[in-house]
Amino acid sequence: MATQASETEQPQLELKGDELLVVENLKKHFPVTRGIIFQKEIASVKAVDGVSFAIREGETLGVVGESGCGKSTMARCIMKLLEPTSGVVRFRGHDITRLSRAEMRPFRREMMMIFQDPYASLNPRKRVGFIVAEALQVHKLGTEAEIKRRVQELLEVVGLNPEHYNRFPHEFSGGQRQRIGVARALAVNPKLIVCDEPVSALDVSVQAQILNLLKDLQRDFGLTYIFIAHDLNVVRHISDRVMVMYLGQAVETAERHELYLEPKHPYTGALLSAVPIPDPEVGRNRKRIVLEGDVPSPMNPPTACRFHPRCPRFVEGHCDVEEPALVHRGGSAAHTAKCHYPLERWPMTEAEMRRAGTATPAA
Amino acid sequence: MALLEVTDLKTYFRTDDGVVRAVDGVSFTVDKGQTLGIVGESGSGKSVTCLTIMGLNPRRSAMTSGEALWKGEDLLSASPRRLREIRGNEIAMIFQDPMTSLNPVHKIGHQLAEAMRLHEDVSAKTARARAVELLKAVGIPRAERRLDDYPHQFSGGMRQRVMIAMALINNPDLLIADEPTTALDVTTQAQILTLIEKLQAEFGSAVIMITHDLGVVAEIADDVVVMYAAEVAEKGNVNQIFKKPHHPYTWGLMGSLPRLDADTERLVQIQGQPPSLLRPPTGCRFHPRCPYVMPVCKEVDPELAPVSDDPGHLQACHLDEETKNREAAKLLAGMMAEAT
Repeated sequence: MATQASETEQPQLELKGDELLVVENLKKHFPVTRGIIFQKEIASVKAVDGVSFAIREGETLGVVGESGCGKSTMARCIMKLLEPTSGVVRFRGHDITRLSRAEMRPFRREMMMIFQDPYASLNPRKRVGFIVAEALQVHKLGTEAEIKRRVQELLEVVGLNPEHYNRFPHEFSGGQRQRIGVARALAVNPKLIVCDEPVSALDVSVQAQILNLLKDLQRDFGLTYIFIAHDLNVVRHISDRVMVMYLGQAVETAERHELYLEPKHPYTGALLSAVPIPDPEVGRNRKRIVLEGDVPSPMNPPTACRFHPRCPRFVEGHCDVEEPALVHRGGSAAHTAKCHYPLERWPMTEAEMRRAGTATPAA
Repeated sequence: MALLEVTDLKTYFRTDDGVVRAVDGVSFTVDKGQTLGIVGESGSGKSVTCLTIMGLNPRRSAMTSGEALWKGEDLLSASPRRLREIRGNEIAMIFQDPMTSLNPVHKIGHQLAEAMRLHEDVSAKTARARAVELLKAVGIPRAERRLDDYPHQFSGGMRQRVMIAMALINNPDLLIADEPTTALDVTTQAQILTLIEKLQAEFGSAVIMITHDLGVVAEIADDVVVMYAAEVAEKGNVNQIFKKPHHPYTWGLMGSLPRLDADTERLVQIQGQPPSLLRPPTGCRFHPRCPYVMPVCKEVDPELAPVSDDPGHLQACHLDEETKNREAAKLLAGMMAEAT
């Protein structure tokens, strides 16, 4: 399917040819209906509303944003666990957006997912060996004996005892369960692993174990990750590039260091300033930029720039009228932000942010 | 006199599998207007410590010993009636999960007013006025109208604010916050932390902040207790703990944090899992996971002893101070060097 006629904007993607996954203007709207027999669509929740990005092979793209910004829905659309409303997902050059279940099957082997809650994502009535082997069996990769050997090897790779093959998930701790989740994702030698908040349910010490494991596996197997999290420290640690989402849209994307050292979008700035720093001197001297209110409803998102009702740099008559385009900002070409008044420097206090907002508009 | 003085607090639970030693000899004090941070992994006994102080453990299975002196009065031996007078009035608690700690079938205003009217003989009108005042103080817009809303009409951050408003309605002298921001986004977390600091400055309450997030502790605590497997591993003021940590567990916690202000290729991980409190390891409870383990660690449980040049800083570890100073310096230098 061709991309739909561009609406207000068409973010440009610079393709270099070695992209593993390309997502163009992806949208997922959930209908809100009223009535029992004659269901009338009265509105739609615009969970993902025009996201575009590309991932190169072996790269990690971090995706951050508050809950409800559409991170997980986007991941599910990429994995085709949800049918996107519009847009294109291209995997290794193939458009997989409109494939049937059967046509999708060969691709399923190459894209796997690790879920957030290790307590809910493993079937409590199946043994670990079965859970990890299931994908191998579905794809008929080997005989019984081969599969068993492979599963034991996988358990070892993720740091579990291969003899635990016959145990049930409840016999493991949270961190160990997440390792089982990782082993399951690795089973069929995928190219891309989508990690949806894989460490947010874990304690810090265990979180470090899983993050190190994911990094080691990437190095050893050349994996590509989409790493979704709301913890900016974790995302910074693991990602090569980071995409910040707000209300179903990407508001800023940049190479990791650039995003953290020179954020351009006020929302990114606010997120960064809100992260507690485990150093009493640094942490207390820094001023948090506290955003007012909650994320607005994606059913009825604010007009123009969606961040404007909470933005410290909000300029009346501009930000609430004209939607900013996702354009290059900052040093490198890969740094894009969706803002009329990008931050000139960083760090900045809230007062400085406000003052700067009233200055002459950039571009 | 300290506001709250906890000495050698022990809480054991009888279970079908045996006795779980959930808190095993914890001592700390909280002074007026001060913030104490209690950090540790899940299952280290942080929450049970506070529930014990509040007298909220199940009476049938919990066994407690030690002392928790509240303004000189022992809470552990206080009658349930006396505890009810103190709870919600002099000591208030904010629970971790704002989704489950409000009653879903009562309006917010009713729940707030109830918290007040239980302790004070005030009219419904006064209580309502006070509820509005508090909701405004915690930054809920259109407070008068929102009083008649049910909890499900509030977002997570808003519910947590309602919980804080409820905790503060009787101007408590001590506020116990059990992971108040764990279920929230960073932006909401920043709002809530700013709010707690502001209210603390305004009302002069003391705060016990239970968290597993060292970042939160570094930002708002004056004193820090690091708990591991039901015991105190290290205790001191915030600068002592963060600038000169003395316990390998604290090093592990700090090393395992990915940080915004530093760049680490590999995180220092603590090997293994926290131990079961049914059968905690002999000697030092951290020894099976400790990279510096010595034979003595497996046999002798180290005492919580002051650091030689710093009597306010307590730690429980057999390592000699020279090694500790060197390792702590190395850890911090590593973090500094990586901070670009």
